Amino acid sequence: MMSSVFMKSLWDQRKSLIWWGLGCAVLIIVTILFYPSVSDTPELNELLGDETSIARVFVGDISDMTSPEGYLNSQLYYLMIPLLFLVFAISRGSGAIAGEEESGTLDLLLSNPQPRSKIVLHKFAALAVALTMFGIVLWLSAVVGSVFVDMDISFVKLGEVTLSAAFLGATFGALALMLSCATGKRNLSIGVASAMGVATYFLNALLPLVDALEPLTRLSPFYYYIDADPLTNGLSILHALVLACLSGSMLIVALITFDRRDLAV
Amino acid sequence: MNDTAILTRGLTKFYGSRKGIQAMDLRVERGEVFGFLGPNGAGKTTTIRTLLDFIRPTKGSASIFGLDSRKNSLEIRKRVSYLPGDIALYEKMTGQEILSYLANLRGRIDWKYVDDLADRLQCNLSQTIHTLSRGNKQKIGLIQAFMQQPELIIMDEPTSGLDPLMQQEFYGLVQEVKADGRTVFISSHNMSEVEKICDRVGIIRNGELVTVEDVNTLKEHAVHQLEVYFANPIPKNAFQEITGVRNVETDGNVLRCTVMGKPDALIKVIAQFETEKISSHEPNLEDIFLSYYSKGVDYDE
Repeated sequence: MMSSVFMKSLWDQRKSLIWWGLGCAVLIIVTILFYPSVSDTPELNELLGDETSIARVFVGDISDMTSPEGYLNSQLYYLMIPLLFLVFAISRGSGAIAGEEESGTLDLLLSNPQPRSKIVLHKFAALAVALTMFGIVLWLSAVVGSVFVDMDISFVKLGEVTLSAAFLGATFGALALMLSCATGKRNLSIGVASAMGVATYFLNALLPLVDALEPLTRLSPFYYYIDADPLTNGLSILHALVLACLSGSMLIVALITFDRRDLAV
Repeated sequence: MNDTAILTRGLTKFYGSRKGIQAMDLRVERGEVFGFLGPNGAGKTTTIRTLLDFIRPTKGSASIFGLDSRKNSLEIRKRVSYLPGDIALYEKMTGQEILSYLANLRGRIDWKYVDDLADRLQCNLSQTIHTLSRGNKQKIGLIQAFMQQPELIIMDEPTSGLDPLMQQEFYGLVQEVKADGRTVFISSHNMSEVEKICDRVGIIRNGELVTVEDVNTLKEHAVHQLEVYFANPIPKNAFQEITGVRNVETDGNVLRCTVMGKPDALIKVIAQFETEKISSHEPNLEDIFLSYYSKGVDYDE
């Protein structure tokens, strides 16, 4: 079970993964169960279809709230699902190195013949696998919910939008890990990564309201998560690649900064 | 074959402008038990953590078995085990789980030896760490340091939290490692402890290595405080001018003084009177520093 840093990191989060996954699954299924009552209320479309509606900031560009895609995007995939991924990824990313450093176990761990970089890579790999498992739970919950209410939606597309969200999660997980590696401070990493999450969310949600600023949304990771509408069109490989490269670059910075600095007692 | 286990040259570490250690030149030979003695905050842990590449020197260099602490850290850590001071363990794991985890990170471990160590230190490996006392956590730390049977064991305050019986057991373990031709480096703030197990002692104070002495030489310098109760009042001048005796105070039938080195001359004078009780205090570190700085260095700077 404890054959490597990777296995131990994964084992350490088994309980929180189960409970967090269970809670999120319930949330998703319950949300989908409300779909029939919404699809019977076409007036909602007029309300949310209004281009100046401030609700767009929280539900996205929705013209058809009563369609399965419109409902799921507005109620789950625009804000809720990425938020769940971010909370999950940021808490793990920030705890990966700084958690051990602050609790004092890092000295013991690194007294073994293991390079610092290997520890970081194992921790990141554990984060990626945990995100994948979390994604599978969220995907299956959406599938189960849609079956309950007999929703006309592709299971594959549900998987693709969840995968896109997992890439977003990995990006913020890598950001938190990078901060944790560079500073050794867990709370600081959580704070800064969360603030970046909120800021880039609003960057992507608000700027389209002003035509001239719209191109700037490309600075936000959220743009690459949702702009191509993966639930309707499938995963945009290009956009997923942008997020993957972003995660990879932050991982490299994490490796370099962690290798260079003094470790706290 | 290189006979030096640890070598530092001008090793200096500053934390910002705060001094950690300064220009330390330390040499530990293979096969010896070396004690690194100093009060808390003197720079013992800083030195040790530099050797293991957890922190990087501001100036100077350190090597273990001729390998540079920065460039060859991985190779060094294959051959060295470490007991951190104030050890922190994974609180939710059992001792057994932690030892297996560390063993997996290191390679092959002789589990019979681990069981033997656990037996001797009376350590229950099946308990979860957070249910253990300070001393029992320390035992897990000791087991992981010894179980790897490396060429060099570095231990930061290894006996803290151990009861006297377990301390004796620990001293025995150290002697076995030495008999094996392996090297032990321990830090301590306890003079009598390093006296018992070390061959040589380095004294560190305010980030500087004050002296490195053979432990026998150190004992000769060691100061004991003596208090003698006599049956009758003693003459005022009876204890003046005795070799190695200082700070003589007589108060009715009580004598208080400090003795440096052998107490033989003093004992012979005491023997002339009827004695009721003698008590002696272990020298504390400050007394030892005093004896080193008695040539007029202001030691409290």
